Amino acid sequence: MRLLLAPAVGVVAVFAAALAALLQYSVLEFIPGSLRTGGFTLANFRGVIAPRYLDHVWDTALLSAATTVLALVASYPIAYALARTPSHRIRSWLLVLTLAPFFTGAIVRTYAWMLVLGNTVVTWPVPMLFTERGVLVGLVHFSMPTMILLLAAAISHVDVFWRVTLPLSMPGVVAGSLIVFAWTFSAFPTPELLGGGKVKMIANVVKDLALDSFNWPGAAAFAMLALAVTLALLAGLGRLAAGRAP
Amino acid sequence: MILRLAVVALLAFMTLPTVVVIAVSFNPTAILSFPPAGLSLRWYANALTYPQFQRAAVNSLVVTAGAVLLALPIGTAAALALERGRLRAPGAWATVLLSPLVVPGVAAGLGFLIVAASLGLLQSRAVLVAAHVALVLPFVVRSVWVSVTNLDPALERAAASLGATPARVFVRVTLPLLRPGLFAALLFAVVVSVNEFVVSLFISTRVNEILPVAMFTYVVNYTDPTIAALSTLFIVATFLVMWLVDRVVDLSAVFLHHR
Amino acid sequence: MLARLIALVIVTLLASAAVAHAQGPLVVSTWGGNWKDTVERVVGKAFTAKTGVPVEFEVGGTIDRLAKARVTKGSPLVDVTLTTTHVGRLYISDGLFAPLDMGKLPNAKQIAREAIRSEHHVGTWAYVYTIVYRPDLVKDEITRWADLWKPGLKGKIALPDFDPSHIITIAALMEGGNELSWVKGQERLRQLKPNIAAFFSTDAQSQDLMKTGQAPVQVMLSVNAYHLQEQGIGVRVVQPRDFPGIVGIDTMAVMAGSKKSDLAHQFIDLALSKDIQTELVKSLRAGPTNTGATVPAPLRGQPGIFLTASEWKERGYIMNDEARAKTLPAWREWFTATIVKK
Repeated sequence: MRLLLAPAVGVVAVFAAALAALLQYSVLEFIPGSLRTGGFTLANFRGVIAPRYLDHVWDTALLSAATTVLALVASYPIAYALARTPSHRIRSWLLVLTLAPFFTGAIVRTYAWMLVLGNTVVTWPVPMLFTERGVLVGLVHFSMPTMILLLAAAISHVDVFWRVTLPLSMPGVVAGSLIVFAWTFSAFPTPELLGGGKVKMIANVVKDLALDSFNWPGAAAFAMLALAVTLALLAGLGRLAAGRAP
Repeated sequence: MILRLAVVALLAFMTLPTVVVIAVSFNPTAILSFPPAGLSLRWYANALTYPQFQRAAVNSLVVTAGAVLLALPIGTAAALALERGRLRAPGAWATVLLSPLVVPGVAAGLGFLIVAASLGLLQSRAVLVAAHVALVLPFVVRSVWVSVTNLDPALERAAASLGATPARVFVRVTLPLLRPGLFAALLFAVVVSVNEFVVSLFISTRVNEILPVAMFTYVVNYTDPTIAALSTLFIVATFLVMWLVDRVVDLSAVFLHHR
Repeated sequence: MLARLIALVIVTLLASAAVAHAQGPLVVSTWGGNWKDTVERVVGKAFTAKTGVPVEFEVGGTIDRLAKARVTKGSPLVDVTLTTTHVGRLYISDGLFAPLDMGKLPNAKQIAREAIRSEHHVGTWAYVYTIVYRPDLVKDEITRWADLWKPGLKGKIALPDFDPSHIITIAALMEGGNELSWVKGQERLRQLKPNIAAFFSTDAQSQDLMKTGQAPVQVMLSVNAYHLQEQGIGVRVVQPRDFPGIVGIDTMAVMAGSKKSDLAHQFIDLALSKDIQTELVKSLRAGPTNTGATVPAPLRGQPGIFLTASEWKERGYIMNDEARAKTLPAWREWFTATIVKK
């Protein structure tokens, strides 16, 4: 019976091998104009804090924080309704409308925001497309389904009186926030298309370095940063969950 | 009342882009105007006849079929082992199997790119299939696991005591009982694989790119509403799939798992 | 049963990968969008009809295609590369282009002298960067580069932010310098800032700014301006009287190490032929490099369409390829820091 686990572990091992290759490249020297690499170096990680890249790291942190807060505020009412509505039909509808964007795919969703934020449908008083504002709107929209589901799961555990709901739904708030922050920190298609090359988050820098400049070691260092932040936040989440367990 | 208004407004925000995409897909001209000056199906024709989309559709079909056909048996086996394998730490193993979910796409994508390049496999679909198997596996394991938990071992014992071989018990009793979980796993795996973009972008070339990557390239290079037409087709297909899933398994049971 | 199914899937995957490798089309590297579509439709189709060899396209931006060529040096993924004449210089200095065998390019004899850019790359069409504006939104007629500095155009102009070489060169020319002594024009360019409403990174953005009237005056590609006119946006393309527009020439070259060198030459020769050039001009609204090509009547005499030796000489400013290629990074850095930043 235990052997049945082996193929799945094999698949995860392949995945882990890819991450190991990433880790290895992040400490190898980049030779411009070549895919070969030099010896061991920490220069790639110094690149991460070089002034021309630090802006992108900072932007990433700011956008992730703003996305988390706004997604939380925007998701709470829907999650509350989802958890509390007595009608099975309304719950089904809410769930379908919440989940639909979750399953429509990143490109379709982001393209849709390009249409809305461009000056096609309405002429915006301030530029939206290819600005941080526009990227933020896209990111919030992208995060809402996850946030709603996590909040709804927490809220539906709590008893009726709504004044105690908010404090008692805190686990959902914390979990949702950590996951959305971590997720946004490595967002790619939204800033790539809605940022129009002007707003670059860490994942966009990874893509530029890897696919446009072929600086794989430099890209690997940035990707490691995104991976580290994600794992750190999720480890924090795990510890919170463990600490609360009865 | 205020809550109700807020919910309606926020749901409108969530569905607004979808509505706009569908409206724009019927726009008759290349430069968009809203509301559209008329109705036209020319972008649907363009989307369906564009050679790179046709090639990408074939690639998507092969990659998704390959990934799902591999992930389904592997994930089902893993789910059975997790529930019945008397593992020392089933929770830890489950975490390992679900872990590809939390790795940022660019990290996984770049890792696979480096591996693919060193194996000389950049033009083939093999690496794409491998990556997709890892990415859909968590969904398969989770969906099937729910069904395995609800499985009554007494039924299998009964079949065995009546003389059925273990293989026969598995095919005639276990698998049919797992059907809802398997079906949900299949649909989730297909939806996730068909829409996977970030990892695939890194390991795709002109020859093996899948549909989302081809769509991304098109969006970057063209401004006409062809992608709106293709997106509309995607959206309609997604709703059909969701409706199907909802027929078979209660969505709120899968996502709000306390019920 | 299950094992057989898995084996079948694996075999199918491997087989389909092998088939893709065996066919061996001619691979052409070019920009995406309309550029690729036009080259594919006009040159690619004719080439396949003539030789029976299919053509495939590797698309991307100017610089990322250069980076890709660098890392695949010696065993290139593509056979023919289309790029701007100045970036072509960078390919040449890195040894990425093979020398052209002029004996295999009989049509090159009909090409304007200015379009034979080097022994490695040859121009396939030309255009200018010039002033384009909407007469319905701008009161005074614009006829000269100097007009851009007029106070009446305050907050009306948009410029590309990815390539400032044109406006930098114009500012230098106005101050008696040229692209080699570009520092002379720095102060003048700074004075243009109040008139600049926006910068654009893509054709779509530029289109949008023009359409909505947010920036009714732009320095843009003549080719894109004619496209706007065709879409029903009434813009005027200026043939500036004080200094000519800045010429752009897009070139083709054979990649060093290509295993299909003969076919690559055939492809380029076909693109330079009179008939194909006539077609290219019609769909791109660019100027032909083959002096025998026919240009549709409405395009004749328009900016960016050079038909005679004297037009090539007088109606456009051709920058020094090498200087442009090598200084562009410095230009971009200065432009971003001084002009784009608030």
